Amino acid sequence: MSKTAKYRPTASKEENQFREALKLYDSKQYKKSLKVIDGVLKKNPHHAESLALKGLALYYSDTDKASAESYITRALEKDSTNNVVNHIAGIYYRAVKNYKEAAKWYQAAMDHGSTNKSILRDLSSMQSQIRDFKNLPKSRLGYLEDQPGYRANWTASAVAHQLHGDLANAEKVLGRIEDLIRDKLQESDYFEHSECLLYRNDVIAQMGDYEAALKDLERIEATNMVLDGLSLLEKRADYLMKLNRKKEASLVYRKLLKRNPDNAKYYYQLEDALGVRNSPRVRLALYEKLASFYPKSDPPNFIPLTFLAGEEFKQKAKNYVLGQLRRGVPSTFVNVKPLYKNNSHAATIYSIVSEFFETVHDQPLTYCWTAYFLAQHHYHVGSYSEALKMIELAINHTPTLVELYILKARIYKRMNELDQAASVMNEGLKLDLQDRFINTKTTKYYLRADNVHRAIDTISVFTKNDDSPNGLRDLHLMQSIWFIVESAESYLRKYRKALGEHNDTEAKTNLGFAFKRYVSLTKIFEEFSDDQVDFHHYCMRKGTPRAYLTMIDWADNLFDQPMYNRVLDGLSESVLEAVRHKELFLTDHGHKKLKKEEIRKREELVQYSQSVAEDDDVFGEKALQEIIRDEKLDVLVKQQALLHQQDAVFTQIFNFRVNFQLKKYVLCLQSLNKLLALDKRNPFIGYMVDQLRNHLAESTPDTIKKIVSVGLMKNFNKADTANLLETYFGANNLETALVLARMSETVFQTRLSEIKEKLDPYSRGLVSIVQLSY
Amino acid sequence: MAITIRQATIEDLEGMQNANLTNLPENYTMKYYLYHLLSWPQASFVATTTDPELDHQDKPSAHETKRDMQYVAPGEKIVGYVLGKMDDDPESEDKTPHGHVTSLSVMRTYRRMGLAEKLMRQCLYSLCENYDAKYVSLHVRKSNRAALHLYKDTLKFEVLSIEKSYYQDKEDAYYMKKNLVLSELVPSSFQGGVEDNLDEDLLESILEEGVGKLN
Repeated sequence: MSKTAKYRPTASKEENQFREALKLYDSKQYKKSLKVIDGVLKKNPHHAESLALKGLALYYSDTDKASAESYITRALEKDSTNNVVNHIAGIYYRAVKNYKEAAKWYQAAMDHGSTNKSILRDLSSMQSQIRDFKNLPKSRLGYLEDQPGYRANWTASAVAHQLHGDLANAEKVLGRIEDLIRDKLQESDYFEHSECLLYRNDVIAQMGDYEAALKDLERIEATNMVLDGLSLLEKRADYLMKLNRKKEASLVYRKLLKRNPDNAKYYYQLEDALGVRNSPRVRLALYEKLASFYPKSDPPNFIPLTFLAGEEFKQKAKNYVLGQLRRGVPSTFVNVKPLYKNNSHAATIYSIVSEFFETVHDQPLTYCWTAYFLAQHHYHVGSYSEALKMIELAINHTPTLVELYILKARIYKRMNELDQAASVMNEGLKLDLQDRFINTKTTKYYLRADNVHRAIDTISVFTKNDDSPNGLRDLHLMQSIWFIVESAESYLRKYRKALGEHNDTEAKTNLGFAFKRYVSLTKIFEEFSDDQVDFHHYCMRKGTPRAYLTMIDWADNLFDQPMYNRVLDGLSESVLEAVRHKELFLTDHGHKKLKKEEIRKREELVQYSQSVAEDDDVFGEKALQEIIRDEKLDVLVKQQALLHQQDAVFTQIFNFRVNFQLKKYVLCLQSLNKLLALDKRNPFIGYMVDQLRNHLAESTPDTIKKIVSVGLMKNFNKADTANLLETYFGANNLETALVLARMSETVFQTRLSEIKEKLDPYSRGLVSIVQLSY
Repeated sequence: MAITIRQATIEDLEGMQNANLTNLPENYTMKYYLYHLLSWPQASFVATTTDPELDHQDKPSAHETKRDMQYVAPGEKIVGYVLGKMDDDPESEDKTPHGHVTSLSVMRTYRRMGLAEKLMRQCLYSLCENYDAKYVSLHVRKSNRAALHLYKDTLKFEVLSIEKSYYQDKEDAYYMKKNLVLSELVPSSFQGGVEDNLDEDLLESILEEGVGKLN
């Protein structure tokens, strides 16, 4: 279809010329199109449609992207009820990823009489993207009514009903198209048909009537048109369990195991179906039987270890662990690590393996893997020097196993000998230059040692570097989140260290880099969110509504996931640090006085550190200066709006930190009370109370001070400092220490010293670095 | 155990992308992963760790998802994946429906447990069952002996041709293929165990033989 609107015919020459321009635009001849438009505008500078089209053509022709929007706005000012102008505005805002505006103008185009029904399809995509589920069903239905010959449009309509919470109508629409299409199916439709049958069954189940869902499942299964055997079995088992028909369900789980005997979930579900969870004897016998069916699968051998005790545990554990050590399975320790949650199991396993170790001196590989296991054991229980001794034994014995170096490096890291750790990892890398896994590990360890350049040089062996000096740009393009977040954190540490050494230039540069990396990370997650756009239509056409709905859920929680919490912690930290130490950015460090040599070095650093092409603020300096000056913290406020889980612990902490800096103390009080309700021992509660009590800005009006202090009385009337310490800072862990590191009063610092004594050296090191900037 | 193998979901894609970036030089943006799962939702699988509850525990199980790209749930991190698809290139010469393995990798520290084989067997079965794939094809680096062994010896792929300079770094690729027949692909049939005939009552037979033996 044509990208722009069907045009209302009028007679004038102007209109003819406009039509010509539109044609040129549609065939992607943007520059030629612009020429014709300019001709029209010369004669009639108020011609709204031409103004709008000019904006769009400017955008796509890459000649003057920046002024494109001003033409769109002007066109809308001239004639906001012209549906051609509306449609073009919709297209423009979609292109610049402003989906809300796009939806608004597509809708306006329809409201103002456009007969171009394909706008409804684009409107639906925009509404789905911005989760306007209230209006979505109407646009989907409008398009369906125009194009009822495509099943995709029926599916889309059903999905819209479901997203709007109307399961009954979703089911009805799916039922109708199923009836209409039954005798017309061709082979190329089979997959879509199968998915749609299963989707309808999902909808029925979600309405809560499992009897009906099972009946429907049996019906569609009998048609022999459902291809997805796994879904059929999983659904059947699920319904049978819900209907308390457990014996039948058990048979279904057995079928599922035949298909996939390595899915631990099916074993537990089979147990539940058989009702044997409470009798260890029967359980054990069951697993022995299942192990005879599936001897090469892990779950039937492992699961008994989770419920056996005493001698029986010991025998089973012995077979399990020693069998793997003999086969040289590198992850043997990791495999049994869940059992370490039981202290006596940990002791039993250790004694089994230590005894075994004494007997394998003549079997080189087994000897090595056993020593590797024991070293991991010592590491896990915190005996780092024992661990080191053991791993060195293994390395001296067989210096060619990469895994041994990985562990040795990890031990050094935990001992906070970070340079040593990175260099050991690098020794491992030299043994296998082809393997990206060890390259990744080495890169990460250089970053942990705050040797960012060495890290970049290492990872660049595996990136596409083209004309860049390293792989930084490729890593950003390829969305290498782990690398970017680790480098951001490294820059943040380097910043604090430089601050501790009073090296202002160095501090400023590193804080700027940290900020830049965090911003890149937010952009990658934004890209993930934008990636949905094409699929709102695509999945309907492809016939994958079930998968589509899981995408919607995924994207809804994209910015609330733990990994993104980590990004936001770092982003807010880098911004708030810049604000707290604004002198770094606002005083002139005498750039003009730089010597030639220094200028050259700085230019080199620019080249080296460029993460995107054509960046005029590689050091993040301009952006941070701007943030410091305007005091609105837009960069963080924007993120607050992305957090959907208003009841999450992280949301309260993030909102508090941002709002405290913005002096919105009443909102801070709300976050504090919410956090108290969610997680009553969270160390941030102590921090928040202290901040609100003792650290309000001097300029705060008395009325606000009063509200805050009255607000605090409600829950913290009796909480003096001693009480805060006891209630919120009692745990000896890293999280607590990192909160205390931000609190300057002596009492808190004393408690912090106590905790630090109990942390492992690496965590202690991390805390000390944070202390440098507070 | 800790390792479980299951069909991949959209929620797993970030972890799969991370595993891919960790292990292999050929990387893709998220949109390509989405395209795989939203076009062929049944064709990709993951291997993950688990942190099962014990009957008696002194320390708690993980209750929070770690702030790390590998993790998809508490105690659950992605250590291997296979990203599968059907050939949908309109310019393909062969119009017979056939599958393609875009990417497969297992973290180095989780090797030698047969995870790659298990992931592949799930993928092959699923491609055949859901999309009627008559065969599946893939590319392997000429120097990757472990992968070659897996495909050729374990999974019975045949080498069709050598594609010169197939990879970015100019290394050659083996182009390999395997014909698919659903009844020959049932994953559990490669374990050499006793077959569960699904007829006998599991509980009854256990109570007769199993538990008796224990006492």
